[in-house]
Amino acid sequence: MKRGLLFTLMVCLVFIAGAAQADEALKEPPILAPLVESGKLPPMKERLPKDPFVVDFAKESKTIGRYCCQLVTLLGSAKDIRMMTVYGYARLIGFGPDYKLRPDILESFESEEGRIFTLRIREGHKWSDGEPFTSEDFRYFWEDVANNGDLSGSGVPQVLLSNGKPPKFEVIDERTVRYTWEDPNPAFPLGLAGPSPEYIYMPSHYMKQFHTTYNDADTLAKMAEDGGYRNWAAMHTVKGRQYRTENPELPTLQPWRNTTDGPSKRYVFERNPYYHRVDPNGQQLPYIDEVIILTESVDIIPAKAGAGESDLQARYLHFDDYTFLKQGEENQDYNVLLWRNGVANQISLYPNLNVTDPEWNKLNQDVRFRRALSLGLNRDEINQQLFFGLAKAGGDTVLQESPLYKEEYASAWTNLDVEQANKLLDEIGLTERDSKGVRLLPNGKPMELIVESAGESTEETDALELVRYHWEQLGIKVFTRTLQRDIQRRRFLTGETIMTISKGLDIGLATPETNPEQLAPVSPSQPNWPKWGQYTETNGKAGEPVSLPAAERLLELYNSWRQSTSVDQQEAIWAEMLEIYSENVFSIGVARETIQPVVVDKKLQNVPADAIFAWSPTAFFGIFRPDTFWFEE
Amino acid sequence: MLRYIIFRFFAMIPTLLIASVLIFSIIELPPGDYFETYVAELQASGETVDPQKIEYLRKEYGFDKPVWQRYFSWVWGMLHGDFGYSFEYERPVSELIGSRLMLTMLLSFVTIIFTWVVAFPIGIYSATHKYSFGDYSFTFLGLIGLATPNFLLALVMMYFAKVWFGTSIGGLMDPVYIDQPMSWGKFGSIAEHMVIPVVVIGTAGTAAMIRRIRANLLDELKKQYVITARAKGLPPTRTVLKYPFRMSLNFFIADIGSILPNIVSGAEVVAIVLSLETTGPLLIRALKSQDMYLAGSFLMFLAVLTVIGVLISDIALAILDPRIRLQGKPEK
Repeated sequence: MKRGLLFTLMVCLVFIAGAAQADEALKEPPILAPLVESGKLPPMKERLPKDPFVVDFAKESKTIGRYCCQLVTLLGSAKDIRMMTVYGYARLIGFGPDYKLRPDILESFESEEGRIFTLRIREGHKWSDGEPFTSEDFRYFWEDVANNGDLSGSGVPQVLLSNGKPPKFEVIDERTVRYTWEDPNPAFPLGLAGPSPEYIYMPSHYMKQFHTTYNDADTLAKMAEDGGYRNWAAMHTVKGRQYRTENPELPTLQPWRNTTDGPSKRYVFERNPYYHRVDPNGQQLPYIDEVIILTESVDIIPAKAGAGESDLQARYLHFDDYTFLKQGEENQDYNVLLWRNGVANQISLYPNLNVTDPEWNKLNQDVRFRRALSLGLNRDEINQQLFFGLAKAGGDTVLQESPLYKEEYASAWTNLDVEQANKLLDEIGLTERDSKGVRLLPNGKPMELIVESAGESTEETDALELVRYHWEQLGIKVFTRTLQRDIQRRRFLTGETIMTISKGLDIGLATPETNPEQLAPVSPSQPNWPKWGQYTETNGKAGEPVSLPAAERLLELYNSWRQSTSVDQQEAIWAEMLEIYSENVFSIGVARETIQPVVVDKKLQNVPADAIFAWSPTAFFGIFRPDTFWFEE
Repeated sequence: MLRYIIFRFFAMIPTLLIASVLIFSIIELPPGDYFETYVAELQASGETVDPQKIEYLRKEYGFDKPVWQRYFSWVWGMLHGDFGYSFEYERPVSELIGSRLMLTMLLSFVTIIFTWVVAFPIGIYSATHKYSFGDYSFTFLGLIGLATPNFLLALVMMYFAKVWFGTSIGGLMDPVYIDQPMSWGKFGSIAEHMVIPVVVIGTAGTAAMIRRIRANLLDELKKQYVITARAKGLPPTRTVLKYPFRMSLNFFIADIGSILPNIVSGAEVVAIVLSLETTGPLLIRALKSQDMYLAGSFLMFLAVLTVIGVLISDIALAILDPRIRLQGKPEK
């Protein structure tokens, strides 16, 4: 608090000093002013790139702020400091609040035929330590890291491969690099813009001291040993982490840089004096001087947020905390905003098409069975009971905000129609029932459906209670089983699981450029077709080949997306995939657009009152630009 | 006596060996490993990981080697003071535990002192005033303390501490003091934050101890030597403290064995609820995420302390109580 007062005083002083000079003179943040005065830091004009990124305040309806203050936020563990890179969201190219991709760190990003990408760096852009950011940083990553067997044992990152082949990398000049693939690579720009981006550059001037090419092997080995690393490669990897910025010495391009050498309970991120974004007045962002991250046990984070101990909090808060949070609003000087969750569906049921039990396998693969289950759900009741009617009933597909949204995807087979559901089940041949009215499988056993949950949220188990009642009307008995998440994964992959309940697909805000991988069997972590996914991921070394025509078509479409060159083409692919997925009910969505409470300090400005909270593409707070957030006096 | 100690000392070695095998195999038992748990966790929050990277990590950390080979390299390392490497924190285990040990021990000592200070007078009072109003009310309070789940008590107290005194929720100090050098302000903040954990962890222990002191003392009070002492006209306080109370302390010394590991492990569940940076949450977290060297070395550390604690209490008992010494003689 004392510090806050000091800042305010200094702000006043600087304002007075600034008024005397010409209007266009940039005002230094008070925290940096003494450093600039004593010559330890060049003035703002020289720190900024020649042509900085000007945030469009009018279009994003933001207000001009002032430099000051600390922002406190709570995270679950020291590893979570990677969220600062997500929230900071400075990317080579990045999404804006309109979900459109545009150059951010880069001055320009051009693509030809979807396979030749030319990246141009802003003139005079510098790392947070003041060293220039140049094409050498890209070359260092490509030649000395990605293609170094010791550092990248697994080879070049996936997004840098198209059809399994790496690109040709060229340095055009000091500020320009080019990547050329033989085939189109639409995953490349997205990989750069993601919340957890693919880093294709590294602060080479800093990292070279840890690299064997630039140092004597023996000195390096000794350095690694002294630091407690297994070898130089491990040291290079740990020192050079750009996503989880544990190394306070590592230069960064993000709005704030870590200054705490962990593990600690409290991380201090201070402003990056060389950050490349400015407000419309040409004043360098971020407004907020320091971001303080406190790591707490996840269980008490809602309590702490409700006690006003966080200035900006959404992670670890759930809808069921809402009433408690609202109660503290008045006394603790914060507002609870209600954002919408960006997942396609908050609760989804995934029938396992690869279950080993032959009877269930046949049923789960039968589209009529999946449709019947979906028709039998009373989604409105679940919405009323669990979300006070604030969510929306609907399937597991893109949200209204997505340009790909069509009403029929969301409503396909989601109306409550017990009669038709029963008819469909009869049609499959499940006509025999036992004395309690439970349908019998062809082998004479009663239809007992076990749904497995990771049990991390009571939401899922509560929903299952209602689902149990709903499906009783169809003559199906439902049992719930809660497991640890990794055990759950193991079980559905081995085919022991009949059905999984979990979050819906992460495609809520998909655009045509989004990778449609979630809609096709591509990974063993997909609970509806893990073995098929494993087959795709391992190129047929493990798992089983896709055997259902609809799923086969999805995989085909996914592969053609990977080769697509235009947005129109991608849009068409998405449309077909979404339609196939919804029509076939590959996952049964229950409730969409649920509420995400966001606790925001009353003085904190420029936080949108209503927005979507999602990992991708919004990077949680990222695309709303926390660097423009500021504290009112 | 010396023979007894030497014998007990060597008996520790096979005990610890068996403990190490048990610890290692129990940690290995659940399917999967740290990396799988890590991937599952990331995916649960919507993040993705390159599967090839995970495969590479697994190889880097020697997970492709057979179990027995990993076991021996772990034990061999421990004998040389190398407790292994934590995957989660990417730091040597000794460094991680070390940084938390001080606060944990401080908290545990204060808690133990608190327990004694409260439990001894009450226990003695309850025994000497059996079935009085005071005895009943203390018993009632004690049983409530014993029956209330610690974590619930912690939550309730935390809430009121915030509402009434404005103490920040959880933690062992105000966030501004974290990583700062020791100062009066920091000391005050720690003291303020320590009240709740000490009382919460202490209540259950206090209640149990009051009951045991009372029961043991009651047994002694009925004995003839007490009656003789009273008949001789010894003052009542002296009578109780000098003889029966000392006799009733055997259980207390036997307890030292379990106090030692408790001092370093702290009360895990309460520590999690209160978000204390003690070793308890570290251990639980490591077990959950299958961070096996961290969990394994920590459990091994506790096992060593338990064995040493038991040894100390056995020796102390043997010195204090001739009956144990005489009966405990190895047979000829």
